[in-house]
Amino acid sequence: MKTSSEEFRITASPEPDWPSHRLRWVLLGAFLGLLGLILISGAAASRTLKRMQQQEQLARRDVADRTRNLSGLYLSIEVYNQAIQRYAACPEGKPDPVVRQQVDRLTADIGSQFDRYPPGRQPEEAAFLQAILDQFVRHRDLYASILVLSPQALHGREQSLINDRIVSMRSQFLESSGQLQAWNNQQFRRTDETLLAQFGRLQSSLTQSLSIALSAGLLLVLASMAYIVRLERQTRGRYRELAQSRHELERLSSRLVDVQEAERRSISRELHDEVGQSLGALLVDLGSLSTNLPEDRIRIKERLDNMKSVAELAVGAVRDIALLLRPSMLDDLGLVAALEWQGREVSRRSEMEVSVESENVSEVLPDEYKICVYRLVQEALNNAVRHARARNAKVRVAQNQNRIAVEIGDDGRGFQPERARGLGIMGMEERVKRLGGTLTVDSAPGRGTAIKADLPLPASAGNPV
Amino acid sequence: MRQTRVLLADDHTLIRAGLRLVVEQRPEFAVVGEAADGRQAVALAQSLKPDVVVMDIGMPGLNGIEACLQIRESLPDTQVVMLSMHSDEGYVLRALKAGARAYLLKDSAEADLASAIRAASEGKSFFSPAVGKVLLEDYMRTLQRTGAEDSYELLSPREREILQLVAEGQSSKEIASLLNLSVYTVETHRAHVMQKLNLRGVPELILYAVRKGIIS
Repeated sequence: MKTSSEEFRITASPEPDWPSHRLRWVLLGAFLGLLGLILISGAAASRTLKRMQQQEQLARRDVADRTRNLSGLYLSIEVYNQAIQRYAACPEGKPDPVVRQQVDRLTADIGSQFDRYPPGRQPEEAAFLQAILDQFVRHRDLYASILVLSPQALHGREQSLINDRIVSMRSQFLESSGQLQAWNNQQFRRTDETLLAQFGRLQSSLTQSLSIALSAGLLLVLASMAYIVRLERQTRGRYRELAQSRHELERLSSRLVDVQEAERRSISRELHDEVGQSLGALLVDLGSLSTNLPEDRIRIKERLDNMKSVAELAVGAVRDIALLLRPSMLDDLGLVAALEWQGREVSRRSEMEVSVESENVSEVLPDEYKICVYRLVQEALNNAVRHARARNAKVRVAQNQNRIAVEIGDDGRGFQPERARGLGIMGMEERVKRLGGTLTVDSAPGRGTAIKADLPLPASAGNPV
Repeated sequence: MRQTRVLLADDHTLIRAGLRLVVEQRPEFAVVGEAADGRQAVALAQSLKPDVVVMDIGMPGLNGIEACLQIRESLPDTQVVMLSMHSDEGYVLRALKAGARAYLLKDSAEADLASAIRAASEGKSFFSPAVGKVLLEDYMRTLQRTGAEDSYELLSPREREILQLVAEGQSSKEIASLLNLSVYTVETHRAHVMQKLNLRGVPELILYAVRKGIIS
């Protein structure tokens, strides 16, 4: 038996590997880490800035406190000095008791002001303060000595007292308090500088973490890009493989249809030519043997007739099988006669009556079109009898210049084409698709079924008769 | 007695041998040649001019139907007995259209071949009884299922008579003399028959007659 020698090759492709999930999690982790880094360094910077602000405020308040205290002290001592001078320069030569009271109050004031001076003093500051205190004590002592003088003793000496003692003491006091003030200012500047240095450090650390974040981000972007590029390449590869395997599948299924038809045809021919004809010859011989037997050989004649009927059954069976495989009408009589035969055959064997109509169908259609239409009708009628239990079916084939249209309708119980698409309909679709045609299945439960196929004919195909 | 000269055409040697055996048993028949395909059958028929060609319907190269058509065109006096495995009306009608006089099923060839050759040589139709049976069954079933009326009932007795004679292979002239009518009247009856039965051409008429069991 001849089998198709054309080689059909399917390139064996290895099972495609899945892209790894690990890289995805690594990238996600890195992104989260980067975000965390930026958040943490931002929070740290903002905390540092807040602390620095507090420190600066504290330092300012401190300096202001000290300055205010110092100037209060200075002012009190000045007033005290003036009061003393006024007292000493009393023109009546009689000390004023009001002034005296004022001096006493001032003395107490100044003492308490020294005590109120802000605590937490540095050694240097304490030394300045002590020096001022010492000077004040000397003043007080001096004034105490002046105060105890009688107005007469005082009189005449007041100018020299003022010039020699009071003025020099005052200038000393001025100098000391100026020094303290200068120290205070210096202290403030130093704090300022410290803060400035802290700020610089903060700035550089911020710059550092920002640049780390930037370069890490850049790395991440590059890694992500590489990952995406790899995924894209894999996807392209997959797509190509998919397209190729679909193409190969289509070729394979169309080859399957071809091979199946070729096999059927060859088996049918072998059955018909070899088995069928041998049985036919046997029948003829048996018949003539039986006819020519003398009348008295009844037993032998009975045996011969028996053999003949067995051979007849075998001939019938072989013919039926051969026709099922490949209807010889397609080759001997053409498509329309084969369809009409098919219709009668189905009518004979089932409860369904089939009518066949044709219009302009050529007797010399190319074989693949004949067999395609024939198999469509065969399958559709088969379904109508077996599944739809139809009572009537109508087959219509019409050909025009460049198309051939087939329609098979039945009054069976129908089905839902979008749900139940059996192998039979898939096979029809495959055959129609192979010839570049379209197949539509129109059916619904209780509405019967209409199957329509529309096949484009090649320009060289049989012209309509 | 003049022997009927028979040409056998079948692509299977075994079948040809069997047919030859059957034909040569009758002294009134003589096998003048054997052809193994349609082309050879046409060529031999033209050179031997046999009375009857016994032809297998399915042969390689040129099939029996085409060969029959060619022989009937060039040799109107040579009749063809078609041998087939199929009792379907598609084949029968095509054989009749191609000009075959007799249609025999291979299953029953041995029993009916002599009758078929004899009928054909006299210009009469012959069909295997099984063919008539199958055609009748198809006809009755279709009538029953579609609920159509049997158009045979529409024919008058005279028309039925003429239908049978035409189907048997008689010409209008022969019928006219047989029934003592004018040729014109016979032609008119014949046209009515064709119209009432919705038939196109003599082959369809013969098929109808076989189907109805009017002839066999």
